[in-house]
Amino acid sequence: MAPHHTSDYQTGELKSRDLSYPTGGGISYKEVNDDVVRTMTQTGKWYYIALAGAVSGFLAFWILPWAYQIYTGQGVTGLNTPDFWGIYLTNFVFWIGISHSGTLLSAILFITKTPWRRSIYRSAEAMTFFSVATAAVFIFVHMGRPWNFYWTVPYPNQRSLWLNFQSPLMFDVFAISTYATSSMIFLYFGSIPDLAAVRDRVTGWRKQIYSMLALGWRGTDSEWHWLFKAYTFFAVFIIPLAVSVHSIVSWDFALSKVPGLAKTIFAPYFVVGAIYSGSAGIVTLMIIFRKAMKLEKYITLNHFDKLGMLLLVMSLLWSYINVIEVFTGWYANTSPENETLIYRMFTTPYAYMFWLMIFTNTILPLLFIFKKCRTSILACVVVSLGINVGMWLERYLILTTSLPRKFLPYMWHDYIPSWVEISMTLGSFCFFAMLFLLFVKLWPSVSIYEVKEDIGIPMRKGGGHH
Amino acid sequence: MSGFLERIAGKLKSYREPGYYTKLDHKWTMVIDLDKCNGCEACVVACYAENNLPVVGKEDCAKSRAFSWLRIERYVEGEYPDVKVKFIPVMCQQCMKAPCETGCPVYATYHNQDGLNVQVYNRCVGTFTCATYCTYDVRRFNWFTYKWPKPLEAQLNPDVSVREMGVMEKCTFCIQRIRSAKDKAKDEGKPVKDGDIKPACSQSCPTGAIYFGDLQDPESIVAKLAKSPRRYRLLEELNADPSVIYLKRVMGDGTTSHE
Amino acid sequence: MDKAVLGLFTYADELLDAAKRLEGSGYDITIFSPIPLGHEIEHKLGPRKNHIKYFTFIGSVAGLFFGLLLTLGTAAMYVLPRGGRPIWSITPTLLMSYETTILIGVMFTLMSFLFFSKLPSFSKKIYDPEINVDYFGLLIDGNLRGRYDEVERILRDHGANEIKRVEETEYNS
Repeated sequence: MAPHHTSDYQTGELKSRDLSYPTGGGISYKEVNDDVVRTMTQTGKWYYIALAGAVSGFLAFWILPWAYQIYTGQGVTGLNTPDFWGIYLTNFVFWIGISHSGTLLSAILFITKTPWRRSIYRSAEAMTFFSVATAAVFIFVHMGRPWNFYWTVPYPNQRSLWLNFQSPLMFDVFAISTYATSSMIFLYFGSIPDLAAVRDRVTGWRKQIYSMLALGWRGTDSEWHWLFKAYTFFAVFIIPLAVSVHSIVSWDFALSKVPGLAKTIFAPYFVVGAIYSGSAGIVTLMIIFRKAMKLEKYITLNHFDKLGMLLLVMSLLWSYINVIEVFTGWYANTSPENETLIYRMFTTPYAYMFWLMIFTNTILPLLFIFKKCRTSILACVVVSLGINVGMWLERYLILTTSLPRKFLPYMWHDYIPSWVEISMTLGSFCFFAMLFLLFVKLWPSVSIYEVKEDIGIPMRKGGGHH
Repeated sequence: MSGFLERIAGKLKSYREPGYYTKLDHKWTMVIDLDKCNGCEACVVACYAENNLPVVGKEDCAKSRAFSWLRIERYVEGEYPDVKVKFIPVMCQQCMKAPCETGCPVYATYHNQDGLNVQVYNRCVGTFTCATYCTYDVRRFNWFTYKWPKPLEAQLNPDVSVREMGVMEKCTFCIQRIRSAKDKAKDEGKPVKDGDIKPACSQSCPTGAIYFGDLQDPESIVAKLAKSPRRYRLLEELNADPSVIYLKRVMGDGTTSHE
Repeated sequence: MDKAVLGLFTYADELLDAAKRLEGSGYDITIFSPIPLGHEIEHKLGPRKNHIKYFTFIGSVAGLFFGLLLTLGTAAMYVLPRGGRPIWSITPTLLMSYETTILIGVMFTLMSFLFFSKLPSFSKKIYDPEINVDYFGLLIDGNLRGRYDEVERILRDHGANEIKRVEETEYNS
């Protein structure tokens, strides 16, 4: 046996073993394969407990209430005549928002050739795909007659009726299906070499499945060449697509006439908010993931340092947009604008949520100015969870403080969610957890070949990092 | 050849025409004289009876799920003893530039040749977009499948479908009456006369405050009333171009009031 | 049945030197690696073509026209006026076409990748599972009858750790 390669030549550049990636001199190529295959084949007791919890939570909190709702009617929710959109649409926008960091960030960092992308992007992309799936289910949940959902799909039919391509919801159908397809392709084609690596290591039923999934990958020069050409194009397509998806989601609201929803700033606001909440989601998930799978070697504090900087920038952008939204509305001083602003900030029963949101999304992330906080796991957990709570509240407030105050005061009516809606919100988190837990067992959740790229190409005559 | 090209060019031009229709068959319009309205709600009851509207009960009514396609909005101004109570009947305004119509992804609501905003119950998938976009809050949703207790189902209007759960609905200007009047006029080979069609609310109004007719017919009563100096339209500044015209109420001191 | 020689290397630069040498002598060579060696190979053996971009471009343009056709065509086939808007309105049409441009562009890129890389292929091919861990492989394929010794000598000279003669097509996929 030949000696396995290590990244010894890089040791000189690294300042601190704890903060740097790759850990200097620590990891060999073989170790990467071993570690990633270990996450898939060695399953502890806690994994089964978590999976059982997620599956039963999904069934109990989501499927059963949903069945009840389909059987009885939308009346079991707290929706009423002016407030036709409530928690379901909040959750839809929230999960689409969560999806906005994985693939987008991965594509941007791939094109800019940023090295710290390599060990986190696979699970971040999976997060994208699963949160789009969760969001898509909420479209069906909020529909009055979900069994007719296929009427929103363009297919030739005998009813002489097609689709209204002027409807913002139709933009949604196109944007989200394109987004889900593209991010799935991006995820899958980035994983083919790793699926092949797993195929070579496992036996039994796993061998058969991964042989199919790896498409017969051998790692030849031409396969690598074409994969990277194609992958670059996927990345280039994903970036404008992700921006368009959340702009379109915001236009569901912004193309109406309702004060508080019809705002020109909504598209950039939603895109910024989506990247913000998505990055916070990545931080939360990565902390749990590295701990549970013992991958501290690969997902290091350096990653959280970089993500913390990103969160800080997004937090400032988000706060800036919020300030202009309030400022321009106040300055314009038209009565519907004033009414909505005052209602949102002070007179609504949800006013405390507004101020909580300002605290978690504007003030709390300022902690990340300090490197000590960016590299502290506890601070990362607190801030990223805070941001996610705040971002959920933001979407909730957008709907619940504008629809109850439409133009005719006679119809003003506040919205209070029912237990069915709250239960399905909880259920969606269980659903997401279930999908992600299955993913880490069935898929190489850290990119083997790109971590190896980071370790460096073994050269006899020195050479260097390409 | 040139005739063919001209036809194609004309067709393409018509696709870029705002609202598509250059000429409507009719433009059904309702004029509501607030000076005559005394807020008795006879129109609301007539609407329930004519259009098979379910009565949702106390609890759902408190949740703002009452089914009235037509409602009397009440506003109270001032403090006791100097208090004024004002009211205004509001139903679907049949906007010519309706925000609801563009929202629907499946064309369950569209504009027909009579200038009416039509709701196709069977096509509705219940995305709530139309109701959210509606600036008048006149759209009603079937939260449950409503049932009529035993003898009452016999009084359902056979000309109007009973809607199922998960479907959006709204005031249609009693389109079943418009249809039957047009059919009858067609059988007799005559155009529809002004006054042939009376929606349920207009028919039942004891003071005759609700007028209905074709605005395109210069001889019709609505066309004449529409020229009144008291005329205004609800939330006109939102540019939805509603088809319901209100006539302001004349107060005791000679001023006019919108409600 | 063709016969082949597979040399396994520990170091990438040695592999590339061997590849350069053998390619110069007119052998059919295939390089296997656990990580992409794109830059290094192009540096050593000359640049490679990128045909995928043409397909991506064709796909995107096709997607654009598909989007226009779908939105404008179906609106014209089933004329349903709504909201005072024209039947053909520009902005939504462009939005839809934007999405279909990306969707079909991605699909064409995907198809051209599968076409050029000859995947999926489930037939038996020469391969060594060590390649996906930490070995670099150099496969000399084609009719080698009588030239084994020369090829093996070159491989060994360049530092191959292990040399395998492949009599029949071995290893799985």
